[in-house]
Amino acid sequence: MAVISLFHGNFCNEERIIEPLVAKTGYRLLTDGDLVAKAAKLSAIAPDKLARAFSAKTSVFNRFTHEKERAIAFIRLALAEQLRQDRLLVKGFCAHLIPENISHILKVCLIADTKSRLESALEQDLSERQAVKLIRQHDEDCTAWVKLHRGSPDPWNTALYDIIIPADKAEPDKIVSLIMDNIGKNVLKKTGGSEKAVEDFLLAARVGAMLAKEGHNIDVKAEDGRVTLVINKQVLMLNRLEAELEALVEKVQGVKSVRCEVGSGFHQADIYRKYDFETPSRILLVDDEREFVQTLSERLIMREMGSAVAYDGASALEMIEEHQPEVMILDLKMPGIDGMEVLRRVKSMNPDIEVIVLTGHGSEADRQQCMQLGAFAYLQKPVDIEKLSETIKQANEKINLERRQKSDG
Amino acid sequence: MTRRKESILEAAAILFARKGFNETSMSEVSKISGVAQGTIFYHFKSKEGLLLAILEDLKTRVLEAFEEFYRNENFSCGLEMVEGAIAFYLDLASRLEDRFMVLHRHISYELALQNPGCRRCMEAIFDCFVDIFEQAIGQGQTDGSIVALPPKKAALILHTMVDGLVRLETYQLYEASSLYEELLELCRRMLANTVSTE
Repeated sequence: MAVISLFHGNFCNEERIIEPLVAKTGYRLLTDGDLVAKAAKLSAIAPDKLARAFSAKTSVFNRFTHEKERAIAFIRLALAEQLRQDRLLVKGFCAHLIPENISHILKVCLIADTKSRLESALEQDLSERQAVKLIRQHDEDCTAWVKLHRGSPDPWNTALYDIIIPADKAEPDKIVSLIMDNIGKNVLKKTGGSEKAVEDFLLAARVGAMLAKEGHNIDVKAEDGRVTLVINKQVLMLNRLEAELEALVEKVQGVKSVRCEVGSGFHQADIYRKYDFETPSRILLVDDEREFVQTLSERLIMREMGSAVAYDGASALEMIEEHQPEVMILDLKMPGIDGMEVLRRVKSMNPDIEVIVLTGHGSEADRQQCMQLGAFAYLQKPVDIEKLSETIKQANEKINLERRQKSDG
Repeated sequence: MTRRKESILEAAAILFARKGFNETSMSEVSKISGVAQGTIFYHFKSKEGLLLAILEDLKTRVLEAFEEFYRNENFSCGLEMVEGAIAFYLDLASRLEDRFMVLHRHISYELALQNPGCRRCMEAIFDCFVDIFEQAIGQGQTDGSIVALPPKKAALILHTMVDGLVRLETYQLYEASSLYEELLELCRRMLANTVSTE
């Protein structure tokens, strides 16, 4: 039977699924908390400090000594030691620490829309403000974590999982049986290859934790006892560093051979890359449908586009001064100063701001008028978030291009 | 500070740190920050003005960070505070890497010789760096955890060692983080008052 890894948003009714799932399968539940407790024993680092490694905020960790990387290295080691066993349910952030070449893992993701998560949170006696804050915080943590370990900017990206379950659209017992139907599948059976991958993972984790303890921040690969250390930053005294690393790693139990190589980060990064041109611009969302803008704002934050929100035309115009947005997403129909008027004033006073009009009630005449007034794009609601992100990206490209032309000229 | 000014300083700090002051043109600062050259001149007058503004901004950040260190940290003795100060200094240098590199560049010292404003600013930054060690050593001598040594001189020597580690890292000579535990151990051996604790 496959090991289950379960990654989920908060307030997605996860307890109502995990409890019966554990009862029916007889699997052992392994939470982030369990692994942190084991990692604390291995590392002598306090559990609450280790647990902060899951947070997107890193201010508690010493940057110079790579404290965060050390915490993660020991949590990974704790996980690798457990993964040798069968009938496991790995729940939470640690699900993403399991290497992809271990094939006997059923990767499950549980997520629900913001509205139903909010309802679940309110049932737990939280105020709406607290609930919104907790959901947003957890989503930010998920985004940063998945980006760090999987390279994907979207933690709910379908490519990362075998099954993504919308927790608000299916009953818990249906979800449980869906998962149970899949764990017996042939492709997820343990094989010689997948067992070897677990052993390789364990050795790499052991070496990684030992190096992290010595203050090194080095990528480790292992295969059949042969360890490769990847030096991913420029170091002038490379021979000295390689000699030190090799001497340390040779002593680790199970290591048959060790060699160092330089990774792509060794060759110094272009300074221009450091100051990323593609950094998202500041976005101002203007719409009187509060729920809609809030959801949109959250989803944009998850895509690392900073956004501010205004609920009517007058405050939107005020916020332009304060917030200096580069892109504005504007609804046409609003009380007070309507969207068309906002667009007219923005384009006459701050022509550099690119305005994306988003409306549920627009006609062809509206569209033409908007484009004449200088709107960047005109989209109909309901809008697909991908389409909107793409349009924002195009607006950014236009802004960056114009900037560069200005500064060249 | 406005966002526009902030992004000008950020871009200039990266360029001065990585390329060098003389090798950087104002048009590059404009290109990277996305702010028109005229606006940059309006705010900062000249390239020297920009360098001075970076140092002034670093001074403000350093002073704030150190104030917070003194406010939040609780140490059982002066020797422990020395260790805390070392960890804090290295973390700060890592977070403000580009700014520290600008500070370490020869041009900053040259400008300090000609420009009294720059001189006062650099003096304040380095005073702050050394003070933290001096205070810790002073406290350690009062509570008996640190041996009798001239605190001002010992503080300068400590700063030199710790800042040397920063340079080992920023000039990409070696993986300096791997020397951290040993640095702490050596500082302890240098400073610890083994007589009074027995």
